[in-house]
Formats: sequence, structure tokens, C-alpha cells
Amino acid sequence: MIEIIKISKSFNSQKVLDDLDLNIDPGKITVIIGQSGGGKSVLLKHIIGLIRPDSGQIIIDGIDITNLNDKKLNEVRKKFGMLFQDAALFDSMTVGENVAFPLNEHKRLSRKEINKIVDDKLNLVGLENVTHKMPSELSGGMRKRAGLARAIALDPKIVLFDEPTTGLDPIMRESIDKLIVATQERTKATFVVISHDIESTFTIAHKVAMLYQGKIVAVGTPDEIRSSNNSFVRRFIKDLRD
Amino acid sequence: MSNLSIEAKVGVFVVIGIIILGYMSMRLGKLGFKMDKGYEVKVYFDSASGLEEDVSVEIAGVEVGRVSKVLLEDGKALVILRIDSNVKLRKDVKASIGTRGILGDKYVVLVQGSSAAPLIEPGGRIVSTTTATDLDSLMNVLGEVAKNISTLTRSFANVMGGEKGEASLRSIVDSMQAVAETLNRTVQENNEELVKIIANLSEFSATINEISSKINKGEGSIGKLINEEDTVEKLNGTLASLKEITEKINRGEGSIGKLLNDEETVETLNSTLTSINDYMQKQESFRTYLDYRGEYLFDSNDVKSYLSLRIQPREDKYYLLQVVDDPGGVESVTDITTTTNGVTTTEHIEKKEKNEIKFSAQIAKRYYDLGLRGGIFESTGGFAFDYYLLKDRLTLSMEAFDFDSDSNAHLKFKADFTPFKHLYITSGFDDFISDEGNESFFIGAGINFLDEDITTILSDLPFYK
Amino acid sequence: MIRFLEFAGRPLVFFVEECGRIMLLLLSTISWMFRPPFRIRVIFKQMEFVGVNSVIVVMITGAFTGMVLALQTYHGFRMFGGESLVGSTVALSMTRELGPVFTALMVTGRVGSAMAAELGTMKVTEQIDALNTMSVNPIQYLVMPRIIAAILMLPVLTIISDFVGIVGGYFVGVNLLKINSGIFIAKIIDIVDLEDIFNGLIKAAFFGLILSLIGCYKGISTIGGAEGVGRATTQSVVLSSVLIFISDYFLTAVMF
Ligand SMILES: Nc1ncnc2c1ncn2[C@@H]1O[C@H](COP(=O)(O)OP(=O)(O)OP(=O)(O)O)[C@@H](O)[C@H]1O
Ligand SMILES: [Mg+2]
Repeated sequence: MIEIIKISKSFNSQKVLDDLDLNIDPGKITVIIGQSGGGKSVLLKHIIGLIRPDSGQIIIDGIDITNLNDKKLNEVRKKFGMLFQDAALFDSMTVGENVAFPLNEHKRLSRKEINKIVDDKLNLVGLENVTHKMPSELSGGMRKRAGLARAIALDPKIVLFDEPTTGLDPIMRESIDKLIVATQERTKATFVVISHDIESTFTIAHKVAMLYQGKIVAVGTPDEIRSSNNSFVRRFIKDLRD
Repeated sequence: MSNLSIEAKVGVFVVIGIIILGYMSMRLGKLGFKMDKGYEVKVYFDSASGLEEDVSVEIAGVEVGRVSKVLLEDGKALVILRIDSNVKLRKDVKASIGTRGILGDKYVVLVQGSSAAPLIEPGGRIVSTTTATDLDSLMNVLGEVAKNISTLTRSFANVMGGEKGEASLRSIVDSMQAVAETLNRTVQENNEELVKIIANLSEFSATINEISSKINKGEGSIGKLINEEDTVEKLNGTLASLKEITEKINRGEGSIGKLLNDEETVETLNSTLTSINDYMQKQESFRTYLDYRGEYLFDSNDVKSYLSLRIQPREDKYYLLQVVDDPGGVESVTDITTTTNGVTTTEHIEKKEKNEIKFSAQIAKRYYDLGLRGGIFESTGGFAFDYYLLKDRLTLSMEAFDFDSDSNAHLKFKADFTPFKHLYITSGFDDFISDEGNESFFIGAGINFLDEDITTILSDLPFYK
Repeated sequence: MIRFLEFAGRPLVFFVEECGRIMLLLLSTISWMFRPPFRIRVIFKQMEFVGVNSVIVVMITGAFTGMVLALQTYHGFRMFGGESLVGSTVALSMTRELGPVFTALMVTGRVGSAMAAELGTMKVTEQIDALNTMSVNPIQYLVMPRIIAAILMLPVLTIISDFVGIVGGYFVGVNLLKINSGIFIAKIIDIVDLEDIFNGLIKAAFFGLILSLIGCYKGISTIGGAEGVGRATTQSVVLSSVLIFISDYFLTAVMF
């Protein structure tokens, strides 16, 4: 259960989040949509404590993380996996080492077991024969998928995806969508996905939240959103369709 | 090379560094693997000006040891030499201070005597010293001599004018010669006694001077007595008999006389005096310090205070008595979050252990820059290492104690830095392998006073007077 | 007047804040040093980078420093017939000052700048955030091993530089300038104390702390993309070098 209560955040007098409220249901896929530059990535970083809000609270499974010290925050973060918008792979490590990193840090496993998990996860995201390549040798889409593999390596309880399918070809996009749905069904984890892709939003989401001008202006099931009266939501859906 | 593991590469690299360091250290010879510590002998010089500790001691230009200490004793310079144990010194060895090079570095020169003389025991003393005249004092003396000569000649010229002068001069010279001859003979015969007598006399006369001035003023009972006529007479009689007694003693008559004229007794007396002297010196290095330190613990936002008394009988040893006010840390933290109608309230409950007073009592010993401590640490057994750096201004300490509780032992690392006298700052990590979450980084400060300092400070305060 | 105060005050405030932030980074590095997990391998990797890979550069600098010193002091000392002091002058200058300082400057250029650039890139590409999301503290994982490695490796590099410098001085002095080799060495042994070497090594460790701390600080506080990374790199080299010289003065004053 993730509760976001009245958070506000400004960067140099630019108000990005403004008294934003949102409840994210456990064990469901919540998709956040909104304009480019609207603050979606900022919101996602608040959830995992990378950015602290100017005011308001973020409560993860009953623990208010807004004022935790680093040590305790790290404990909370062990529940999380996160895919960054630009993948954020460690470029001093190979792709395989990147995916193995959270396993090496938090699991006591033999090298063989770790290698097996790494291969599995890379296969899941459709990457083969890249284990020993450096991130700089991959394409943008491949990097994104490697980042995805790293995010789900530990099968975390909460996974945050910042635009997992942007920059991928339609076929790959569909297979990643399927992967997200399948993984969620298997692990019953809480997924928070940021997406620009209205098609895949409606296929994968249990719940959709619309971010506009620093606030969540609409929340609901895909069907509710589709039939929303909110003018901005209507325009947004229509624009994205075209 | 490239298929070497990282550890191996770093290892090889560090080993090379250590080998070079070791090689240079050995060549510079001051650390070396010199197990031979040699033995110590003492020597007294009138002046050890410019003589530093650790300069060389040479016989015939060959280094046979080092100066280990230069001290002041009875207005003379006591120099302790550490001589290599394969070099034997004879009792009649002569010591002097030599000067080397244009910069005038001082060192100690020994000249071996006859091989017949007995050896000096370790801890013994070199009796014979010559004060090498250095350039400075030589020039000084020369200047003075020249001045005297010029005054002398001037007065001579005044007196010696005319025939009468010449005649009287001759007779003066004659008698002077006679006097000088006798004097010379006497002095030669009684050289040693004379020196003693003169020393005694001067001391005695000083005392007499003091007493007599009091007496003159009629102060004290003696003063009153002497100012009466018949006391003087009695006194005269007493003095006469006293004289008789001393004469007897001198001749070795009577028990006291025998005692005093006995070589053995004198030696015993001497050694007794020496040991008393040693004891007094130890007393001088006896110090007591009072110390307070506070450590701010980051993780629990508490201050841990220490008040301690350090009794230091010798430079390399001290006893520590300490009272510790331990805030005890946070026992347990519970967050209770309740959500009613979308409103979430979080209760933060911290159960704190009560402040606890603990005691420490430790004994510490120091070897060069490394100190060892053991005893009671915060009411449990433990031990510690201290490493002293930057002329003792920086101390790194590692303490380990509380081994018997179920949890991990209590380890504490700290660094104390003393930028100013009395004040120091401290920082470190307390209980860093704690499995109860007590580990905390801390910074703090402390203040310490030498026993005498406290007295001085207190007496400077107006209300203490 | 107020405008002037503002004008003069802003850099001052900035400077004080900067000092404060660097100190805080140091404190939290120390506090993370004693918390598990202990990633020995990561430290070794940095030791390889800071130490082993710098050794060639440091040796070349050290050798030529010693050689130049021998050449220069020879001409000075010859004026009053003190050629025999060339060896000890070279050895004393190398162990006390030039060994530690030049080593530190070379390592700043090679390693301190690389630290700033690497951490800076990691910062602007969100890799440091990614570490955080994986419950790995970036200070513990990135900063602490670098600082430890630099503190440990700088003295080792310095002793190598001292040695190579003296050997270089020996080569020039004895082989080229024909100073008697026995006297050359005897004077070194006579005049240089072990303490000179050790104090030089303590200095080196301190310089290691400075250059790694500044490099890491500039790296993790980078903002503004590739340009920001470039700026951080330059600033770290300049600031480290200046601080090395300043602290060298104070360390010398305290030690000798
Ligand atoms: N660290 C930061 N410092 C200053 N401004 C920031 C920072 N991070 C984000 N912003 C600003 O906040 C706003 C929201 O950024 P954010 O990255 O959340 O957008 P977004 O919704 O994720 O957009 P996109 O869909 O393009 O990724 C932007 O205007 C951005 O300039
Ligand atoms: Mg974004």
C-alpha cells in the first residue's frame, strides 16, 4: 500500500507537484499518464525517497518515508525495484554484472545461481548474448530492457517503471507489456508504470491516474478513464491516439 | 601481468613499497634491526651546550653508541650514554664534547685509558671529563685576559716610577716568590682538601652570615642569649670542648670517629642518598590529571559524558578512574500508523533506557608510540590500544570490552586531537559491531587539567582567596 | 555599502557552505566506513586504479625531479666546495617535500580528475539514484572505497617516488657529475632521518585524503549534464592542487 498525501514540490520556484494525493493499491498495476515535463518522473522518485517533498507525506506499508534517515530508508527500499527513464545502467559494469548487482548486494547466492537468474531475466526481456557487453555497446531500447531486467531481478514487492516501452518497436513494446502483466500476475507485486502509450496503458492497467498541473486530476479503471468527462483527459486520450 | 588478479597486483605493489621503506629505514640506521640495546653509563659535564640527544659517541672516530639523555643535575649536565654492548669501557676512560664540521655539531668523544683499569659496570659513571674549549669561550677568555693585562701594566707603571720604586719592587718580588713557593707546595700537597675546604667555607659562611644577622638584631633565642655577657663565656667553653671532640673524631677515636673514617660507611651513605634522590625524581614526574569529555552520538542524538581522573606516576604508565554517564540509547522504536477516513496518523513511540552511570578503572602502559590499556571499561572487562601521533597531539584509540553479554562485544574507535593545551576534540565510532543497533558515529570535545593547573586556576578566582 | 557586502559576501557564503559540505561528506564517509557490508573487492579495485596504475607516471616524475635537483644543487654547492651535500639535499627534499607533493599532484591529475568525472557522469545519468534505489548507499559504495584507497596508496607511491628520485639523483651526481659515490651515500645516511621519510608519508596519506575527497565531492555534486561533468573535473583538479599546497605548508609547520 502506497499512500501519497498532499505532497508539493518546487524546483527553483517552478511548482512541479502541488498538493498531490494518490493511493496506489497493493498487488495491482497502476499507470500514471500525463504531459511530458508534467512531473511524472519526479512523482516516481518521491515514492522511492530519491526526492523529498517540500511538504506532505509518502507512506509505504505504514512507514512514513519523508523524514527517514538513510539507514532506515535503505531498509524500506529493499522492497523496491525501479527502472529509470534512461535505464541508468552502471556503465563501468557489463550488462550481466548490472543485472547481478542487486543479487550480489542483497542475496547470499552462489555464482552459479546468480548467473542462472541473470540469464533468465535477460531472456524474459528478450535480450540474448549481451551478458558480457558493456552498456555503451547497446542500443537505447536494449539498455532499457536491461534496466528492466535489473529492476525485477530480486522479484521486489513494489516495482516502479519509468516509461518501460518508450523507444521500442511495436513488437517489442507488446512483448514488454505482456512481460509486465505476466510478472505482476506471477509475483502479485505492486507495479507503478509511467507511460505515454495510451494503447498499452489501457491493456496493462488495473488503475489509471492522470497527472495534470501538479495534481492527479482523474483516477479510475481504464474503462472509467475512457468514459471520463474531464476535458483534459478526453483531449489527452484523443491526442495520443492520433 | 594483465591476467594477475587485482588483489595480487595491489599486493605486489604494496610489498614493493614496504621493501623500499624497509631498505631505506635500515640504511638510515636509526630503526634498523638493531636488537643490541647496549648499556648505559653516566657522565657529568660542566656544560653540554649544543649536545643533542641521539648524537653519536665515538672512540677514535668510530661510533660506539649514542647520547640517550641530557639532563640537569646539581647545576651540572648529566649526560647518559648508551654504549654498544660489545664495547667495554675502562674506569679511566676520558669523556669530552667534540665539535664537528663548519656547523659545529656536537658529539661525545671518549678516549680509552689503560687496559689495566677495571671495567665500568652498566649504569656506572665516567669520572674523568675534560671540557673541550670551544671557539666561543676561548675568544671570551682571551679578551678578558687582554683587558686584565692592560690594567695591570698601567698600575705597574704608576707604582714603579723612580729608584725607590725599583727597590721596593725587588723586595716585593722576592717575598712574593717565597710566598708563591710555599703556597705552591701547600696546594700541591693538599689540593683536594683545599677545594673541599673552600666549598665548605663558602657554604658555611653564607649560613653564618644569615644567622649572625639575625643574632645581631637580637632575634630568636640564640640572639637573646648571645647578647648577654655570661652566655658568651659559656659558649666559649662549649666551643672549646667541641673542638676537642672534632679533633678526636678526626683522629678516628671514639665510635663516631671510627664510623665516619670508615670507607664502607661513607659508601653506604652515598648510595642511600642516591636512592633517595632517585625517589625524589620519580616524585617529580608524578602527575594527576582531571579530564571531562562529552561525545555527541549521531544515531541516538544523545550525549555520553566521561569524567576521569588520571594518575600518572611515570611518563610511560598511568591509572585511570572514570565515571561514565551513558544515555543508554534507544531500546525500541515502534511506529503505529492508523488510517481512518483517509486521514493517517503516525505514532512514534521510543522506549528509552534510563541514563546509566558506569565506572571504568584501567591501567595503562606505553611503549614508544603505542599504548596498551586494560581493566574495567564502562563496568565491564576490556582492553584497548592507543597510538600516539604528532608529538602526542593526536591519539588514535581502539577499545574492546563487554565480551560476556549475549550480543557482540563493544568496540569503539576514536581519535582525539589536541590543538590547544587543555582542550581537545574527539571523533569516532562507538559500538560499531553492535547487533542491537547501538552503533553510532560521534563527535565531541573534552577539557583536561593537570592537578597544578587546577590549583592555579582556582587560586586566581577571587572567591577562592 | 550593502551592495558591496552582498558582492563580497556571496562568494564568502558560498565558500563557507562548500567547506561545510565537504566536511559533512567526510564525516558521513567515516561513519559509513564501519557499517557492514564491507566490500573489500571494491576497495581493492580502487587501490589498483589509484596505486598500481599510477606507478609509472609517479616513477618518471620522481626520477626526473631527483635528477634535476642533483643538477641544480650541484652548481650551487660547487661554489663553496660543498658538492658532497648534493646527495643529502636531494634525499631530504624528496622525502620531505617533493616526493609527497609531486606524487599527490600527479595522482590528482590522473586519479582525482577521473573520480570527479566518473562520479559526475554517474550523477547526471541517474546511476547514483539507481544505487540508492537498490538500497546501496552511494557514499559507502562509491566515495568510501576511493578515499580509503587513496589514503593507503599515496604513501606507497610516495615511497617509490622518494626512492626513484634519490636513485635519479645518484645517477646524475655520481655518474655524470663525478661526485664520490661513498660520500654521496654517507651524507644521505648522515643527514636524512627516518622521521623525514615517515613525516613525508603521513603528508602523502593526508594528500590522498584531500584529492580523493575533493574528487568525489565534486563528482557527486555535479549538476548540468556533460558540461557539468567537465566543470566538476576541472574544479576538482584546481581545488585539490591548491589545497595540497596549502595543507603542505601547515603540515610542514606542525611536523618539522
Ligand atoms: N532535479 C531537478 N532540478 C530542477 N528541475 C527539475 C529536476 N527534476 C525535474 N525538474 C523539472 O520538473 C519538471 C518535471 O520533470 P519530470 O522529469 O518529472 O517530467 P516527466 O513528467 O517525467 O516528463 P517526461 O514524460 O518527458 O519524462 C520539469 O519541468 C523539469 O524541468
Ligand atoms: Mg520522465
